[in-house]
Amino acid sequence: MLFLIEDAINGILMGSIYGLTALGLTVIFGVLKVINFAHGSLLMVSMYAAYWTVALTGWHPYLALVIVAPAMFVFGYYLQDIVIKPIFKAEQDVREPITVIIVTTGVWYILDNLTLLLFGPQYRTLQDNPLRGRMLEIGQMLISVPKLWGFAAAVLTASGLYLFFQKTRLGRAVRATSLDRQAASLMGINQYKVYNIAFGIGTATAGIAAVTLVPFYNVFPTVGVLFDIKGFIIVVLGGLGSIGGALLGGIIIGLIESVGPQFMTATWTEAIVYGLFLLVLFVKPSGLFGVRYDW
Amino acid sequence: MKARTRTNLWFQLALVLTLGTLMAWGPAVPVQAQDVVVKVGNIIPLSGPSASVGLQGKQAREMAVEEINAAGGIQSLGGAKLVMLYADSESKPEKGVAEAERLINTEKVHVLTGCWNSAVTYPVTAVAERYGIPFIVPVSVADKITEQGFKNVFRIAAKDSWWTRDQFAFLKDLQEEFGTKVSKLAFVYENGDWGKGFAEQWKKLAAEQGYEVVLDEPYPSTATDLSPVVQKIRRARPDVLMLVSNAADAILLTNTLAEYKVNLKAVITSGGGHADPSFLKAAGENARYLFDIVEWETDINKPGAQEANAKYKAKYGQNLTGEAVDAYLAMYVLADALERAGSLDPAKIREALAATNYRSGPGMIVGYDAVEFDETGQNEHASLVMVQINDLGQGLERITVWPKGARRAGYTPVFPMPAR
Repeated sequence: MLFLIEDAINGILMGSIYGLTALGLTVIFGVLKVINFAHGSLLMVSMYAAYWTVALTGWHPYLALVIVAPAMFVFGYYLQDIVIKPIFKAEQDVREPITVIIVTTGVWYILDNLTLLLFGPQYRTLQDNPLRGRMLEIGQMLISVPKLWGFAAAVLTASGLYLFFQKTRLGRAVRATSLDRQAASLMGINQYKVYNIAFGIGTATAGIAAVTLVPFYNVFPTVGVLFDIKGFIIVVLGGLGSIGGALLGGIIIGLIESVGPQFMTATWTEAIVYGLFLLVLFVKPSGLFGVRYDW
Repeated sequence: MKARTRTNLWFQLALVLTLGTLMAWGPAVPVQAQDVVVKVGNIIPLSGPSASVGLQGKQAREMAVEEINAAGGIQSLGGAKLVMLYADSESKPEKGVAEAERLINTEKVHVLTGCWNSAVTYPVTAVAERYGIPFIVPVSVADKITEQGFKNVFRIAAKDSWWTRDQFAFLKDLQEEFGTKVSKLAFVYENGDWGKGFAEQWKKLAAEQGYEVVLDEPYPSTATDLSPVVQKIRRARPDVLMLVSNAADAILLTNTLAEYKVNLKAVITSGGGHADPSFLKAAGENARYLFDIVEWETDINKPGAQEANAKYKAKYGQNLTGEAVDAYLAMYVLADALERAGSLDPAKIREALAATNYRSGPGMIVGYDAVEFDETGQNEHASLVMVQINDLGQGLERITVWPKGARRAGYTPVFPMPAR
């Protein structure tokens, strides 16, 4: 029983971090109606940014947020503005522009290979940071401290985003654009600026996710791919465009991954995750927490 | 027309006679000291995905041959020099076969060596066998290469299935040396061909040698969280953990094992991710006391090894590697066989190779102590090397501990691992 609780806690903590990595994906999809295949690469770029910030300054890893999140916002903002917007304009009349998906795939390859070129294939971990390897001991139970921080970051980021979209004027403008871009434009909302902002926010959440991962995870050029696949599953599971859904979807996957291996070999939990993914697609294509309308 | 045909016929007859006489004379003509060279055809990947190991193999061969030739060549052949001919396989089996045909038919090589990639070596063994040309394989690990009943293939390095054999042999020796008993093993491995192949042999060996397997756990190499697997290890309470991992998961497992304070007597790993150059840096102190299996390590305690490595490094700017060392040794094994054969007849060279018993000399800088081929052409003394990761005051390094004859002077392995 104690084992189960220990595994469930680890699953929830790790799962919330998965949810955090997928948040950006769901925000960008919700607004732009585009699956951003470069999301994993943006996470990877953020991880390098966080890694170097901490490695060079010697700060507490979470202090890197001050640099990484704004920097990634700007990166995402201009990535959308310069690379993706022209394609959008060319495909104005399509609700879900396919070409943009292809462009994001291109961005993924360029970012991954550029990183490989710049930093080489080495695996890096932050040595000697105040969170590395720290464990909370409760009786027989061991709980990872960096994951606990990651859980807090995930919950705070998700609630912050939710409040932003619900309460602020800009958030409402973003939601309006996501519901009907033409109507929003007629109401005086600059559609493309909203896209830039949504992309920036999505990328900044990838930045936050990166900061939570760096204290206990490896950084290498293809690290994004591992989280990318999980991100897609989480987002579909939770409902595309749903912020709470992404977090809960992540926790479900984390729980399966963490509790599952105690009853079977670890390889099988992957099969269960994909099985669940297919099942959700069959039974409830809009996802567990998705709404028929996007917000 | 008719006359024309006749002249042609006469001409052909004359040609056949001349050639026949020449051929008949061939062996009868005494070997002329200066003219004789031994042509060695080397098929290695010099471009393509394995180009860097191919280059190491080429450099090691060159260094050995320079030394052999400088020392007077092959005495029994009147000081014959070794001449190296290189052919690029590009790691492609069909290219390797074509190059083997060319080297044998056009270049008339006396011996073939190569090809590093098992997939290339395997079909080339058939070409060598057909022409009766001895084929020395320094490193190509696939078991089947020496298991075809061929007479002309000679492999220097250990084969695939010997990696696990040596891990268990090492474990046995370790228990005897330190008087600590190991009874419970845990096998944790990546769920690809490589990991599963190792695990299958581990299970067989464990059953034969009376170990209890308390955990047999494959995991996906792409896992982003390995704490569930580490929890299983922790709860199974094995004495020794055996791992097969790629790079990212090797680092993650090592760090997570330390975080969960899993106490083990030893961790035995299988190269791959644990031998990745960035592993020591990324896992840091958590990697301390791990045992890893490799083909060769630069600190190996064999006469001449340090000198050979220093010379190689000065020449080519890199340390010797497992691949390079076996290629280096292969040239000395060949020179030794040629010396005993005293002939350039491939059949004689083959016989001499089959009778090889090479125990000392400049080539013996490998972990094992001898080269002697069994009837399949496999060097029956070949073994791998076990290293322990430890910090002796100059940062973490890989220290050779097994076979005992190759152990770094003055080093005692740490076993069992101190409790975390």
